[in-house]
Amino acid sequence: MSSAVPGALPEEALLRCADEPIAVPGAVQPHGVLLAVTEPDLAVVVASANAQELFGRSVAGLDQVLGAADLAALRGGLAGDLAELNPLRVQVSGAEMDVVVHRADGLLLTEWEPVFGAEQVGAAWHRRLPAVLQRLSATATLDELTDVLARDVRTVTGFDRVMVYRFDAEWNGEVIAEDRREDLEPFLGLRYPASDIPAQARALYATNWMRIIPDAGYRPVPLDPPLTPSTGRPLDLSGAMLRSVSPVHLEYLANMGVVASMSVSLIDGGRLWGLIACHHYAGPHRPSYADRVAAEFLGRTASLLLPTTVAAGEQSGIVEVASRQAQLAAVVGRTPRGLAAALADGEVTALDLLPAGGAAVRLDGQLRLLGATPPADRVEPLVRALLAAGRPVTDAVSGVLPDAADLAGTASGVLAVEVPGGREDFLAWFRPETVREVTWGGNPYTSKTAQTAAGPRLSPRRSFDAWSETVRETAQPWRPHEVAAARTLAGDLADAALSRAAEDNRLAGALQRTLLLGELPAVPGFALAARYLPSAEDVVGGDWYDLVPLPGGTVSIVLGDVAGHGLAAAAVTAQLRHALRAHLLRAPGPGAALDGLNEVIAALLPGEMATAVVVELDPATGDVVIANAGHLPVLHVTSAGAQFLSDGRGPALGLLDSAGYRETRIRLSGEDRLLLFSDGLVERGRGGLESGLAALREAAGSAAAEPEALLDALLAALDPPRTDDVTLLGIART
Amino acid sequence: MTREPFVLFDVERTTVAGRPALTVRGELDLATAPQLGNAVDAQLAAVPRGFVLDLTHTVFMDSSGARELVRSARKASAAGVELHVLAPHRNGPVRLTIDLLELGAAVPIVESEASIGLAERDATP
Repeated sequence: MSSAVPGALPEEALLRCADEPIAVPGAVQPHGVLLAVTEPDLAVVVASANAQELFGRSVAGLDQVLGAADLAALRGGLAGDLAELNPLRVQVSGAEMDVVVHRADGLLLTEWEPVFGAEQVGAAWHRRLPAVLQRLSATATLDELTDVLARDVRTVTGFDRVMVYRFDAEWNGEVIAEDRREDLEPFLGLRYPASDIPAQARALYATNWMRIIPDAGYRPVPLDPPLTPSTGRPLDLSGAMLRSVSPVHLEYLANMGVVASMSVSLIDGGRLWGLIACHHYAGPHRPSYADRVAAEFLGRTASLLLPTTVAAGEQSGIVEVASRQAQLAAVVGRTPRGLAAALADGEVTALDLLPAGGAAVRLDGQLRLLGATPPADRVEPLVRALLAAGRPVTDAVSGVLPDAADLAGTASGVLAVEVPGGREDFLAWFRPETVREVTWGGNPYTSKTAQTAAGPRLSPRRSFDAWSETVRETAQPWRPHEVAAARTLAGDLADAALSRAAEDNRLAGALQRTLLLGELPAVPGFALAARYLPSAEDVVGGDWYDLVPLPGGTVSIVLGDVAGHGLAAAAVTAQLRHALRAHLLRAPGPGAALDGLNEVIAALLPGEMATAVVVELDPATGDVVIANAGHLPVLHVTSAGAQFLSDGRGPALGLLDSAGYRETRIRLSGEDRLLLFSDGLVERGRGGLESGLAALREAAGSAAAEPEALLDALLAALDPPRTDDVTLLGIART
Repeated sequence: MTREPFVLFDVERTTVAGRPALTVRGELDLATAPQLGNAVDAQLAAVPRGFVLDLTHTVFMDSSGARELVRSARKASAAGVELHVLAPHRNGPVRLTIDLLELGAAVPIVESEASIGLAERDATP
């Protein structure tokens, strides 16, 4: 809102009013007498000053005013639930009185109200009760319920005007139902600012269901003694029906022309939801205690019906949103990839989920806008700021982020939800400014303080003429089921992303397995062994190895590694493996084959990088030609020790358009072994790659010659962390 | 071998040899390489004449990190920005990876700030 109602009042005066001791006014209204007595003696401790007038004598104990039968009835009732006792109809000096009792401050507070003078409009009310209850419970909507309530409360109590008043989140009230004397001006639809009913009064109304002021022009009757001897404080009258009300409230009623007033609380789940407010203008008006209880009973019954009736009123929107939510969940379910596109361009989009002017979908770092939204460069900062402020759901953005006031045309209201998964993705819906005409019962912003000797004091409004204002920079509020639907969709998206990641990994794993040989082909005169240990971190690496028999009788042994992990790396790995096979079959030697493979990357896979080593073995002679494209060096183990082959190297695949790989030649004889391995074996140990290579050389020099045993020994000795995949290939003469 | 104080990963805007620089601390690997990529993009967006990627304090680099260096070099070259990747010999772990991959074939690797200065003087008419 452009201006908060309470902010229009000087704070000091408001505080003074909040301090006003409305529960302990030290006085009662004159339409009855209050006697606070001890139990069980019923000796009078505090009495209202009008006691002597009513009883014709000063009263020291209830036994002085009650006959034996009435006294016995009172004593009998005190043992049980006091609500069952009230009211106790008694005779005092020949006059009928209703006595109502409750306990406070350790005393029994008895309130005596003469039956004479009370209007008995609802004499036959008890007989009509079933019909009234039937009418209330048959209502389907909130409008119907409150209409019936206003009509029946007026019938029972005879007030000139009965209104049902509903509080909004800021405690401003709106008249949502009314039954009135024909000649009165309607108040239906008027709003009253929160300050009309101060916080401490609302707190009292949430526990005390009914208040009555039969004559707003009354003179308060003081209590005697003013301070209760046992507590040293004025008597607690918060539960007393005769409680004298704040002079500010009486002034307020007088300004409205109200002579008598009554209100019944409407309470939903322990919270003050609204009031049944009754006004009488023609003169003082005091419904009988029984009729007041009937009105209170209707208020309590309506309070019980409120939650289901309010919920039923919102049902249509809920069903609509729920059905959209189901449609979107289905879209998410059958579109594991390209979700952002599906939600933005599909038949049912994120914007269709709930009533909004625009929506933003940020998935996998890509932002898509639907409908009327703020400019693209403002959306992300706006949503992030609201999320950071802990106010992701707001119908007044400028109240949270004043800098965003210029976006009111598209985003006065924002509903933002994060999509879990740590990618900073989100969904957001926007609602434009709804310029609303609000009609107040009198201008709520007019000054309400009066200068008194004690300083400024809250003074009630004098004008109640309808006063309209325009509320800006607010949007239609987001309803709870809409917020819930938005959060559910975000959760669905996060789940889909998770299962997509799992699916990617399953695919990559399958792809990886096709890159590895189930069984190494036999090479006459040589023993070969291979180990492949996939990463334990649930990601697929880019290692591969291969064994390619060539037409001339030689065989190429390959070990390679594509930089990166996951499905993308696995796909690149598959392409490189097959490309290298083709080049090995055609090229004159391993160096030329790697040249060919390098050209494949440069031409078809720009930005990718891989390393590979090719060992071409002639089984007949033991001659070996080696070419290495940036890969870790081949380890040559002989009876003299182990050494890395540093010749025949060139840059990693993908670095240059044309590499020109060199080759180196050795001959395997006796117990000579060759070991090919990937970086996962050596790079992550203590001391890094250099130490890993040194440890490998040392372990290989003392290990068994037979390849299978050699590889097991090396894995045991180096014990590589399983954060990366690890591949080893061993070759030895048999 | 001495190790740098433990830093998971961090790319900081600094100045090396009088040029804007990105100093890379911690482990440059599959997990952190995209952060370097983003920082390089941001650096290039400012269209400097040249800048330095300082790996003096990088304690580990795997092939994914190396691939990011290659990509950075290509982006700089496409943008007409002179790039130097500073990787002193005393930073053994990183230097060994660079040498095995022969990254120098595609990435302008220098061994000291002084060599950047020389390049600077050479470039000045």
